[in-house]
Amino acid sequence: MSELKRTPLYDAHVALGATMVDFGGWEMPIQYPEGILAEHLYDRKHCGIFDVSHMGRFIIEGKDRVKFLQRVLTSNVLSLTPGRAQYCIIPTATGGAVDDAYLYMFDEDKYMLVVNASNAEKDKAYLGTFLPEYDVTLTDASETLSSIAVQGPEAENILKILSGGCEITGDKKNDLKEITLEGKTVRASKTGYTGDPIGWELFIDAKDVNWLWNRLIELGAKPTGLGARDTLRLEAGLPLYGHEMGLDAVGNEIPIFAVSLAKFAVSFDEEKGDFIARNLLLSQKENGTDKKIMPIRLIDRGVMRAGMDIYFEGKHVGWVTSGTMVPYYEFDADGSITENTGKRSIGFAYVDASVTKKDVIEIDVRGRRLKAKGVIKHLNQSEPPYAKAVLPKQEK
Amino acid sequence: MNFPKDLKYASSHEWVKIENGVATVGISDFAQDALGDVVYVSLPNVGDKVKVGVSFGDVESVKAVSDLIAPVSGVVCEVNEELADAPENLNSDPYGAWIIKVEQVSEEADLLDSEAYEAHCAEEA
Repeated sequence: MSELKRTPLYDAHVALGATMVDFGGWEMPIQYPEGILAEHLYDRKHCGIFDVSHMGRFIIEGKDRVKFLQRVLTSNVLSLTPGRAQYCIIPTATGGAVDDAYLYMFDEDKYMLVVNASNAEKDKAYLGTFLPEYDVTLTDASETLSSIAVQGPEAENILKILSGGCEITGDKKNDLKEITLEGKTVRASKTGYTGDPIGWELFIDAKDVNWLWNRLIELGAKPTGLGARDTLRLEAGLPLYGHEMGLDAVGNEIPIFAVSLAKFAVSFDEEKGDFIARNLLLSQKENGTDKKIMPIRLIDRGVMRAGMDIYFEGKHVGWVTSGTMVPYYEFDADGSITENTGKRSIGFAYVDASVTKKDVIEIDVRGRRLKAKGVIKHLNQSEPPYAKAVLPKQEK
Repeated sequence: MNFPKDLKYASSHEWVKIENGVATVGISDFAQDALGDVVYVSLPNVGDKVKVGVSFGDVESVKAVSDLIAPVSGVVCEVNEELADAPENLNSDPYGAWIIKVEQVSEEADLLDSEAYEAHCAEEA
């Protein structure tokens, strides 16, 4: 086995007492001593910080940069203006996902593409096969540029202490801005993977990332590991490559349009022109897919896990793609957050398209058939600063 | 990490205390720490038979699921029902939050004393 890679914050994680694990070839903190539940709850009520320096950061520049990106990504790159970012997918030739990614336009003359850590080498090789056709360069900046996500209700207050009161970015999701935090240049993006209505992802020179990490902790942010990053994204209904994208439990490709979020990532705009698998994706959009990704909650007590079989009316209809128990805060009738917490068992299912949210499905949890049901969403993000749990009685 | 001297331990990280022919079984401090936040415990019923080396339930943490392996053979005579609503007790008080009590004990696994178990954990860590 090759040696695991480490981010510049590795020593900081170890000093904080983190449990370090192999994540896509990186030695990363899955949790700190307080644990996943406490980290998840702190993020929802206060502010969580995440070392996301392991993710792949590619700089794309050159005369043909737009043409190249229009070809290899599903989004319309021309709809992006400087100071904005967009969610996109790198499609396979057969209409599945090589990876999902975020494209940032901080500068007029270049783009930054951020990809999943575990896919970075694969993505680089795949994108590399298209490069010779274009006057464009793709540079891997993952080692020189580090990244920290700052998420949760107190994220803005904390960052504004560092910015001397200056605005971090515009208010809209996907707004970008280059800012100065206590004399250091930081590129901020109003994005995140937690579902928190308030949160940024920051890009900073690798040599300054420890300084930023420590200042954020001093100001009240709590280090949050990959375990809580996963429970937060699951609660937010955000897909993860390798679970809701890529290959299914039996090795078949999951079509991009099986994920409802795809409609925001794929553009058939005339301006975009042709791209990898365009016609297949158009057909997926127009005709639907055989199976779909659906957020679900367990009705019976227990925990579902990725790979478990799902049945409906006695027939096998799919698999769980992600699942665990996540914590939540209760809110008063007037909307204020309380000290009371609960836990709920939630996940994603990849099931036959004929299964609806109203259907009660059964999940084989190590021989026990547990009842589950689709939901519209697990989290209400429309009442900032909090992301509020949508519990069964509040549905519809 | 705490390894009480008055308990015996299975290499699969359950602790056992046998008093007056009744074996009380739980999971060790090392086990709860490795699991992380426990969110669900699947328990057997009173009257169920358990057998050395065979799973009698499972413990779900946020991260993963882990089998509970019986360190003794016998008949379940009591189940800690509190764990159904408060599985986190396994994290906060692993030696207080017992899981099952077993009577008619007919067989014991090769159990370790606290010193040998501590050494076993040091190897696994």
